[in-house]
Amino acid sequence: MVDLKDVKYIKLKIKRRDDPNSPSYWQDFQIPYRPNMNIVSVLMEIRKNPVTADGRKVNPVVWECNCLEEVCGACSMLINGVPRQACAALTDKLIEKYGDRPIQLEPLTKFPVIRDLMVDRSKMFENLKRVHAWVQVDGSWSIGRGPRLAEKDQRIAYEIAHCMTCGCCLEACPNYNQKSDFVGPNAIAQVRMFNLHAIGRMQADERLEALTAKGGIQDCGNSQNCKRVCPKHINLTAHIAAMNRQANAYVIKNFLDK
Amino acid sequence: MRFFVEKGDNTLSKFSFFIRRFHSLIALIPIGLFMCFHFLLNSATFLGSDAYLTMVHFMKGFPFVQVLELVLIAIPIIFHGIYGIYIVYLAKNNVLQYKYYRNLAFYLQRITSLIVLAFIIWHVYTLRFAPVSAEGTYAALLSMLQNPLTFVLYVIGVVASVYHFTNGLFTFCITWGICVGDRAQKIFAICAVLLFVVMSLWAVGILLSLAVA
Repeated sequence: MVDLKDVKYIKLKIKRRDDPNSPSYWQDFQIPYRPNMNIVSVLMEIRKNPVTADGRKVNPVVWECNCLEEVCGACSMLINGVPRQACAALTDKLIEKYGDRPIQLEPLTKFPVIRDLMVDRSKMFENLKRVHAWVQVDGSWSIGRGPRLAEKDQRIAYEIAHCMTCGCCLEACPNYNQKSDFVGPNAIAQVRMFNLHAIGRMQADERLEALTAKGGIQDCGNSQNCKRVCPKHINLTAHIAAMNRQANAYVIKNFLDK
Repeated sequence: MRFFVEKGDNTLSKFSFFIRRFHSLIALIPIGLFMCFHFLLNSATFLGSDAYLTMVHFMKGFPFVQVLELVLIAIPIIFHGIYGIYIVYLAKNNVLQYKYYRNLAFYLQRITSLIVLAFIIWHVYTLRFAPVSAEGTYAALLSMLQNPLTFVLYVIGVVASVYHFTNGLFTFCITWGICVGDRAQKIFAICAVLLFVVMSLWAVGILLSLAVA
């Protein structure tokens, strides 16, 4: 246990990359200790004066952030090897947990790196489109209000609606990698939510069709890392199991009905 | 940009789903059931060598035994093994980075699969194909289990098989949407661990009783 009174510097070890095609390298930074910082404010301090721990002036570290309250997912990165949001990673807590050693920052590994800690997560958007993760309401005329959702379904949908498409579940999933085109836990959970929705369920079959196509729900290997790393504590493994039930029923019914 | 899922002939796009579900189903029926049956019959060794040989003779005289062996045991295991190797290849294991119980189980499931595959090939070759008679099988079995090195290899192979089966039984319940919620998954996970312990002790007991026979 480190006493925060003894901490003089907040030390960082950052994995950097100048452009998508050049190799990555590590750089150490340190800033004078201040209480109640988070990783975003530390990175802002480095940006003010981008000098490494050994005194070399370098280009400022590039990263993304937006909401600063753990609801947008833009600042997702590996912090001491754990995928999480930089804005919600409090330096005092990190020092208490990991001691005085440098806090290690790396870009997410399952997405193409654009520069330093900034990655291209557009694959997640493509996967959401792949499984029809929206309620289809646009038409030539108004279809009016849909029926109300039962309260027990609202509870399930509300939990899944916390998903901010940050990518932590994909980062931790051993079956989401370059060898497979698995849609990933978050997209599977979104299908459960939209299939519960009173109007969304009109396209339930289209979503299940996508979920049972190549790279669909069958690629889940039950490592259950997704649930453990989800910053919004979404019970992804239960949603995957529920969708397994729906997907199996859909495929069997489809086979018997035709 | 493609906003709608294409309809029409989806037989090919469903291939991956079907083959993965088939891989899961045959692991329990018939392979898992056969393994339990195999343990049960081999428990005859607890009653002595005469009882064991009577059992072996009875099984050899079972009608259509070779057809049953081929259709219910050999073909499912070969398919499960070959497609299983592909599944092992697909994973990018990260057990050192994410030290969670289920992630370790995911990794062990893949490690044990390779151990079990090698063990089954060895086991079937030495006891099913090489000996010429039931007495020959029994003699080969005894000589293998009375050698400390092969005994240890047998214990590893059998315990790995039991782990692969019991952990697979738990993930089977998720894959087929049988247990969904947290509480149900927890209960099933505990049952799977208990089953692993009981079946491992049972299997090692059979091996020990043959080693001292």
